[in-house]
Formats: sequence, structure tokens, C-alpha cells
Amino acid sequence: MVSRVTRLAERGAGRLPGIVVALALVFLYTPVLVIGYLSLSPAGQPTIPIDGFSLRWYTAVLTDTRFIRALLTSLGIGVVTAVVGTALGLAGAYVIVRSQLSQIARRTIAVIIALPLFVPTVVVAFGIGRASALVGLGYGYLPVVLGHLFWVLPFTTFLIAARYAELDDRLSAAARDLGADDRTVFRTITVPLLWPALTASVLFAFALSFNEFLITFFLAGSSVTTVPLEIFGKVRIGATAFLNAASVLVIVVSAVAAGVASTLRRPV
Amino acid sequence: MSVANAPGRLRDWLVAGSPLLLALALGVFPLLTLFVESIGPGLGSENYAEVLSPLYRGALLYSIGVGVGVTAICLAVAYPITYWIAHRCPDRYRLVALVSVTLPLWLNYVVLNYAWVWILARGGVVNRILVGTGLLDSSLDLLYNNISMTIGFVYIYLPYVVLTMYVSMERFDYQLIEAARDLGASDIRVFLDVVLPRTLPGAAAATLIVYARIAGAFATPEILGSPGNVMIARLVVQAFRQYTNYGFAAALSFVFLLLVLGTLGLGALSPRVRQELRQW
Repeated sequence: MVSRVTRLAERGAGRLPGIVVALALVFLYTPVLVIGYLSLSPAGQPTIPIDGFSLRWYTAVLTDTRFIRALLTSLGIGVVTAVVGTALGLAGAYVIVRSQLSQIARRTIAVIIALPLFVPTVVVAFGIGRASALVGLGYGYLPVVLGHLFWVLPFTTFLIAARYAELDDRLSAAARDLGADDRTVFRTITVPLLWPALTASVLFAFALSFNEFLITFFLAGSSVTTVPLEIFGKVRIGATAFLNAASVLVIVVSAVAAGVASTLRRPV
Repeated sequence: MSVANAPGRLRDWLVAGSPLLLALALGVFPLLTLFVESIGPGLGSENYAEVLSPLYRGALLYSIGVGVGVTAICLAVAYPITYWIAHRCPDRYRLVALVSVTLPLWLNYVVLNYAWVWILARGGVVNRILVGTGLLDSSLDLLYNNISMTIGFVYIYLPYVVLTMYVSMERFDYQLIEAARDLGASDIRVFLDVVLPRTLPGAAAATLIVYARIAGAFATPEILGSPGNVMIARLVVQAFRQYTNYGFAAALSFVFLLLVLGTLGLGALSPRVRQELRQW
């Protein structure tokens, strides 16, 4: 192993890749650390370096009714999107991987589900906003949730499909030989085997929804506010200590979901 | 499951129904709505004529340019990163490395872009360090221009590109590099003739995922970009917010969508990419 690694180092691409990885990690984590550091400043407009440590801005954020309302809205929409989006993703994955539909039908379904990936989000969001007004749905919670479901569907579908494709057919065949009907096979064989992927999908969909900005921006109207909308509105007014503390709290929520998910399955 | 039967197929269509209905109702129907609005009640093309006036042509080209440029930077950076994780990283740490590099995927891009304001501002981290250590006499203007916007974009989309390319890179057999070296190939030849063709599907998939979203981004240029350089999303949002001229905004969206798909198509048309994608 060691000799192979050194040989690789000589013959592969030299030191460059390792250096790029180190730089990338610095690049990726510096902003998060900087915001965390600045959020501890007692001043409303922190300067670098900060003058003392205080948690007063965290208290300010957690007692700010507007922010709390946005946070509860984001969490609620996130939970609904995560659960329903994963159920729809499971249906989509089954259809793409296991169903008896023709190859063309399955491919077409996969492309339609993947639409939000390669159509610019602003076009999709604007289109959904106009379509929603056209059919009389207007703006508010329901259009936002539908928009989020549409946005997470490709991620949940392909995440579950990747695992579905690896399942051993013989297990369900054996269950059928022992007299199980389709529903029993699905409940006792397929779902338990897919469980890690399903849980990862729920968490990933939650994080996607919790952080989604543009679709929400077009569909929220004036009555609904989510955390990303709230933060975006404040960013345009200026960078402040309040915003730093709010940002850290948002990062913590997403990072917890990511941490739990990464223990469940490989991200690829 | 191997033998197809009519009831089974019917059930599969029923299962397909719910996700498909959602994707059609929120993907295809809105696009049709936009198309109908863009040609307006009189089936006219004046909306499109306006979109193609020099004023908006600039914004369209700038958006596409940003999309192409940032995607290229992300790919260039993702190659060494994925190569290192797949072929150099000790097995034990591979998952940790991959998770660390892709963690920002989970975080909020509005927040992440905002964090860069504190780093790049005149009194921000970078300038404090440069001026504080005496490397510079006065602060650099790093914020609200193309530099800060590019950094913000790469910051958000690099994890997506790394994650997508990693799969290709993991399948890549590094012994091919050794063979090429033994046959006397230079570094550049090894990359172009050995590494690139075999990892092209991953690069293509990554491009497909990030390019359209960069070109049509709204938050990043608003938070980190220059007020003078207008990207398409801002124009669409303005039209939408002012409740006027939906027809024009719809036409703009449509021309932009066609441009994005067109540029993606150009990439897919090059024979080499086609050949590689067929293996997928």
C-alpha cells in the first residue's frame, strides 16, 4: 500500500491535487468560521478583531418574533416537504428502476422529474408563480409547499433510485415463493432494505427545502416569510451582528441534518 | 417481476402518477403558461423584439458568460479534488474527506454568500490581514464586483460539481496513467488523452446540474455582484414584483431558457462528448 501510494505520488499528478484539496477546505470553511466568530461580538456593527465576547445577539435573534415565525414556517414547510417529497421520490424511483413500463416511458418520466435540475430556477419559479395566479391558487403556503416538492423531487428520486438499483431481486423472489403478495413484499423486504436511503432522503429534502430561496421568493406573497427570505431581506439593508447570529443558527440546523445523514449512507 | 403483465403495468402507471403529475403540473404547465403569456393576446412578437434589443441582449450574454465561466472554474478545481479523494486519500479518511468537501451543499446559500461580505469588505478579513501585515497600504476593492460574485458562485456550486464528478473519478483506473507514463506521455498528454475522456461523463453531468442555475441565479449577484452588471434573474424578478409587463418577462425567460438549453446542446453535440455519454 505504502509503496503504491508513493509510486502514485511520483507518477500520478505530483503534489498538486493534495494542495488543491487543502486550499479548498480552507476556502469552504473560512466563511463559516468568520461568521461564527463575528456573531460573538457585543457590538451591533462588529469590527475585526471583535471587542469582547457576548451571546446577546443570539438572545436577540431568539426573541425576535419575526425571525421565530420565519423559523417555524421554514421548519414546518421543511418537514412536510421532506416526508411527502420522499414518498413521491420512492414512487418515482420504483417506476424508474423496477417498473414494467417500457424503457422509453421510464426514460421520459426520469427526464420530466429531472426538469428543475437543468431548467434555470428563475424561469421555473416565475412560471410557477404565473401558473399559480392563473389557476387561482395565488400565493401562500400551499404554492410554496408545492414548489418545494417539485424542487426536491429529482434529488429524492435519484437518491432512492441509486439504492433501489442495488437491491437483490432474489430476496423479493424468495418472499414471493413463500407466498407473500406484492404489498407484503414491499412492506417487509423493500422498505426495510431501502430504509437508510429513505432516511437520508428525508434529511436531504428537509435541508433543501429549509434553504430554498428563489422559488419561495416568487410564491410566498406578502403573508408567508421563511428564514432565507428573512435573511435576504436583511442582507440588503446591511451586514449586522443580528444577521451573523441568525446565520449561525441557520447553519447549525442544516449541519445537524447533514451530520445525521452522513452517518447513514455515503453521499454518493 | 420479469414477466410483464397487464395489471402490473397498470399498477406501475398508477404509482408513476403522483410524482409525474407533480412534475408536469409544476414543470411543464408553468413553462406552457409562460409561452402563452410571452406571445400575448394578439399572438404578436413585440415582446420578443424587445427582448432582443441591445439593452437586454447584453444581460442575456452576460448571464450565459457567467454561467460558462463559473462552471469551467468549478470543473477545473473539482478535477484535482476528486482525483485526490478517489486515488490518493487513505481509504479510512475517504468518506470524511468527501463529506467535508460537500458539507456546504446542505447549508443556505443566502447565508453563505452573506458570509463573504465580511471577508471581502473594505474592513473585512482579507483587507485587515493585507493592510495589517503591511503588504498593502490601502484596502483593495474586492466586494460588489465580478471577483466577489465569482467567488460566491464557486463557493456554492463547487460541492455539487465535486459530488457529481466523484463517481466518474472513482471508477477511473489510475493504472492507465502509469501505462501512459511508461509509454512516454507528458503530464498534459496524460490528462487530455487518458483522464479527460474517462471522466467526461461526470463532468458533463456536473455541468448539466450547475450551469443553468448559475446563469439564472438571483441571490448571489444581488448579494455579491456589482449593481451595474445585470443578470437575467434580476430583470425577471423586477418585472414580476412590479406586476407589470408579464409578457415581456415571460419572453425574456423563454429566450433565456432556449439559450441555456442551446448552449448545453452545443456541448452535447461535440462528437467526443456524445461518444462518452453513450456509455452511460
